[in-house]
Amino acid sequence: MLSDSEVAELLSFLTPSTRPDVKGQATEYILGLSGNRDGCRFLHSKPDLIAALFALTSDPSIAIVKDCYHIFINLSADETLHQVLVKDVKVVPVLFKNLLDPEYLFSDQICTILSNLTRHEKTCKILFKVLQEDVGMAQLVQIFCTEGYNKNAKLHYLGPLLSNLTQLPEARNYLMDKDRCVVQRLLPFTQYQSSVVRRGGVIGTLRNCCFDHAHHKWLLSDAVDILPFLLLPLAGPEELTEEENEGLPVDLQYLPEDKKREEDPDIRKMLLETLLLLTATKAGRQMLKEKNVYPIMREFHRWEKDAHVTAACEKLVQVLIGDEPEEGMENLMEVEIPQDVEEKLKEADAKEQEELEKEEEKRKQAEEETCSNKCTPS
Amino acid sequence: MASTVHSDSDDGMDAFMDKFKTQRYKNAFSENDWEEEFNKIPMFMKNAPEEIDPQKYPELACLQSIIHDEDRPPEEQAKSLKDEGNAYFKEKNYQKAVVAYTAGLKKKCADQDLNAVLLTNRAASHFYLGNMRSALNDAAAAKKLKPDHLKALIRGAQCCIELRHFSEAIQWCEDGLKVHPTDKKLRELRAAADKHKRAAERDARKAKAKEKKLHGEKEALLNAIKDRGIKLVQPARAQRSGSDSEDEDERSPAAIAELSLDGLSSQEVTGAQVFVDEQGSLQWPVLFLYPEHQQSDFISAFCENSCFTDHLGVMFEELPPWDADRKYLPQNLQLYFEDEEKETLYRVDPEMSLLKILQHKRYFVKAGTPSFIVLVKGSSYCKQFLSGRKIHGLGGLLTML
Repeated sequence: MLSDSEVAELLSFLTPSTRPDVKGQATEYILGLSGNRDGCRFLHSKPDLIAALFALTSDPSIAIVKDCYHIFINLSADETLHQVLVKDVKVVPVLFKNLLDPEYLFSDQICTILSNLTRHEKTCKILFKVLQEDVGMAQLVQIFCTEGYNKNAKLHYLGPLLSNLTQLPEARNYLMDKDRCVVQRLLPFTQYQSSVVRRGGVIGTLRNCCFDHAHHKWLLSDAVDILPFLLLPLAGPEELTEEENEGLPVDLQYLPEDKKREEDPDIRKMLLETLLLLTATKAGRQMLKEKNVYPIMREFHRWEKDAHVTAACEKLVQVLIGDEPEEGMENLMEVEIPQDVEEKLKEADAKEQEELEKEEEKRKQAEEETCSNKCTPS
Repeated sequence: MASTVHSDSDDGMDAFMDKFKTQRYKNAFSENDWEEEFNKIPMFMKNAPEEIDPQKYPELACLQSIIHDEDRPPEEQAKSLKDEGNAYFKEKNYQKAVVAYTAGLKKKCADQDLNAVLLTNRAASHFYLGNMRSALNDAAAAKKLKPDHLKALIRGAQCCIELRHFSEAIQWCEDGLKVHPTDKKLRELRAAADKHKRAAERDARKAKAKEKKLHGEKEALLNAIKDRGIKLVQPARAQRSGSDSEDEDERSPAAIAELSLDGLSSQEVTGAQVFVDEQGSLQWPVLFLYPEHQQSDFISAFCENSCFTDHLGVMFEELPPWDADRKYLPQNLQLYFEDEEKETLYRVDPEMSLLKILQHKRYFVKAGTPSFIVLVKGSSYCKQFLSGRKIHGLGGLLTML
């Protein structure tokens, strides 16, 4: 890597007053460094460089600023750099401030950086604290839910950011504050067609929220009414009987014949996992049974091809059509599992995963073969 | 010391008090009408009179002129008018409240908070009068003056809900929650508006599905008719495509566009229409005409596979009251249908099924209801009816008998 004198020289190029072409070359060089692990590790030991780069994000030249943000995206992707970025260079408050600005040109890059920084719990906690002090989660949700807040940025990566934040109970509690209207505003985005990132982020957020079974009753009540928003992406155009229709939540009744299901299998799986989480309590199970979730799952099962997703669907269906668990086991999340049983279950799980992988591979291969049969040039 | 003074005034008091027992004081309230009298004194009034006549209520008129003195600064005048409006509002006299608030707004005072309150209160008055649009306008104006005015925000949302503009209602709530994030009413209104909105969307989908189903059924029906080679014809009058014109629906195939649904609408207002039964056969409403007696019979569902004899047998089991000559016996009856275009009568073999007759190349179903003429074979009327007409017998073209 670079020697100390070389680093010092590089540093001297990274001032606002340096000639643009020299500045540009310096940032380009560092961008190259940041693109690989060794480069990142090297930069980790040079907080001065990073600080200087961060200062350059206010540079008048858009090209320079763009490169700088790129560098930070790369740096933030490496967890070992998180401490430096957050504690030493203190990027977070500035990033949030710029995020709030509806005219800011690089808000999308900021979202990506923040999303990277929140992936792991340690930095996530710090970031959440700063968030609450400066911007507030309410503002973040507000920006996320306001279509066209920033003309220059789509802000889709706020979705994964929210999802990451909700790994913290403090964040979840804020989102699910009964006295506010926060999580409700996210619900329509489970159907947001234009961005799989945004959609996935929202659904990930909702799934994390559903880990708190104390909130299930409220989530399923009219105050939030989470169920239809989880079911809609899984529901299809198949016609159900009038009886089945009338029992469904309002949003799922009489779906048009061009209704499409969620295209991304990972998101489908997340939705099913969320629904499964909601069956943990007796009240939740009852609600899902009452609201005719089963016919939706039945049609879904017929349509689904991915082995992993089908497995998740079957797990849910089993709970929906199965008998109620015995006394004392009504809250499936609180049941105590003896050590040996737990181990056996883990083994079984691992085996199942293996088998599913194999099935998936086979299916994909079969698809490719039929495709290549059709696609061979004449 | 006290006792001496006491004894002195006591004497005086006693004498004074004694007077009351014997003399009435002037302008006393009488037992009968003291409540009425009280009501006339401004301080004790329970309700203000509608009109203040200075002759009858001089004190009240005086007070009024003090309140509405034009020399007072506009803010004060506006505030008094606000109070007046509020008083009327409390009495549920919303019309008068509106008048008072409007007068207050006309003062155009500089206190925007006050103006926002005047607008919001007027909005509330309009709301209770059922004038939702006026109420909404006032709420919006108040919101413009003071974007964080909670009552205006709530009122605006409520008006939108009443007007069934649910998306707009939700927007009002969200704007409100930005400034008052923990307000319970706003939260509840948002949830209610959202619920209504989604129910309305469901209703629209349901209606569309129903329409689609009906359309499908109509399509199937017309196809069944077309497949059998039966020709429908619109009566000359109703040539225009009706309100359920299939031409407007892009999904309708050309076949349907040809056989307009009007061909099935019954001009006879019988309420009956051809339909496909469970066995897949067509059941037609059929008219039997008896020109001799200006009578007719209507069969609401004549299965295409039945033959005429079956029905005639039942219909004329007992001879109808108008058959004075008692001659309309089933075996004596002759059936004809008329080809209007060629002005020819075609004889119908009663042993044939309805379907076969309808498929006759010169048979046109008019107004969705096949009709047949019934005559008594050999009767003088029959001869008269058939004379001078072109007739197609069972075998072929006949000359007149």
